[in-house]
Amino acid sequence: MAETTQLELVTPIRIMAQQAVEMVVAPGVEGLFGVLPRHAPLLADLTRGVVEVHENGKVTDRFMIDGGLADVSGESVTILAERAIHLGSADAAQLKTQAAEASDDEAAFLNAAIAAL
Amino acid sequence: MANLKDLKTRINSVKSTQKITAAMKMVAAAKLRRAQDAAESGRPYSTRMRQVIGNLASKADPSSAPQLLVGNGKDQTHLLVIMSADRGLCGGFNGSITRQTRAEVARLKAENKTVKLLMVGRKSADALRREFGDMYIDQHEGLQGTSVNYDDAASIADTIRSKFEAGEFDVCTLIFNKFKNAITQEITLTRLIPAEVDESDAADNDAAAVSYEYEPEEDELLASLLPRNLSTQIYSALLESSAAELAARMTAMDNATRNAGELIDRLTLVYNRTRQANITSELIEIISGAEAI
Repeated sequence: MAETTQLELVTPIRIMAQQAVEMVVAPGVEGLFGVLPRHAPLLADLTRGVVEVHENGKVTDRFMIDGGLADVSGESVTILAERAIHLGSADAAQLKTQAAEASDDEAAFLNAAIAAL
Repeated sequence: MANLKDLKTRINSVKSTQKITAAMKMVAAAKLRRAQDAAESGRPYSTRMRQVIGNLASKADPSSAPQLLVGNGKDQTHLLVIMSADRGLCGGFNGSITRQTRAEVARLKAENKTVKLLMVGRKSADALRREFGDMYIDQHEGLQGTSVNYDDAASIADTIRSKFEAGEFDVCTLIFNKFKNAITQEITLTRLIPAEVDESDAADNDAAAVSYEYEPEEDELLASLLPRNLSTQIYSALLESSAAELAARMTAMDNATRNAGELIDRLTLVYNRTRQANITSELIEIISGAEAI
């Protein structure tokens, strides 16, 4: 097995993901960036977008986040996001009903998540 | 000798008090589960946020870094943010916060500092108004309970930030009850401004000597990160405090229910003894009456 980096995706509500991965692609405010193991320490502001988890050159997992912060070190990637949705287990219809009830800001986020599904 | 009717009334009134305390205990226990989940699941986020900020603060250059991170170099005016409950009947919860506040104010006063208070929650605000009312700069109520709202936390954070930027205080400390378990709460003092640097973290960093790259530029990143950190810390304190309040109420009401039970047992014993004594004395009267004939 190739070298891995420890991904943690944390929201105020819960820990969304905690796993060893080969590569993470995160939506920085200045564009998407990929993080491999032994990445130089980086602190990046994130924008609304999709965090992709790559294994063996393929995308294995995707999370929609609503902005946040990525703390990257050689062994780990910690993403702090105020809101996040696991796209692998999300259901478009369910998100749509949530979006209908949510505040404008949250609804915009949920709609973006539906579009990314 | 106490009369039977009075005893009966007393027993009944204690019984109805017991019913109320038992109900309050159940309500607190039911709400506690939700509040505890919220507080515990919110912890990783705020801890990590604090780590990142502490990291940054330990490396920051005091002359150029934002004041929210390293402070404005002065230590004269202290703002204490006090979180208590809105409602009473929760044991020592509000009392211990009030006591801690009093001690902290006294300590700062002894060092000739100016103290200002921002009160969250009604109980401590009421308890301290007579002594420290002139130090209050703001007061919030009704934010705690089962539905702690991030926006409320953000608005408190905004108040704090604008007052800091206006130069109204130099150091900001948060005092709240941290939820430990259903029996114990821990009074916690967290310094919000300037950011707290964990000593062990700082030591680690010196050894590793990591220098971060920033995206976007450092000052731009910090400008968006620091206010967010402030809201996050206040939000997590609100969650902790709400859970701690419910836990304290549950324990206090459990004790009250048990005490009421003991009191009922004691009163019932007295009631039965009195009744028996009455019967005995009546019998003696009848018998001695009959013998006299």
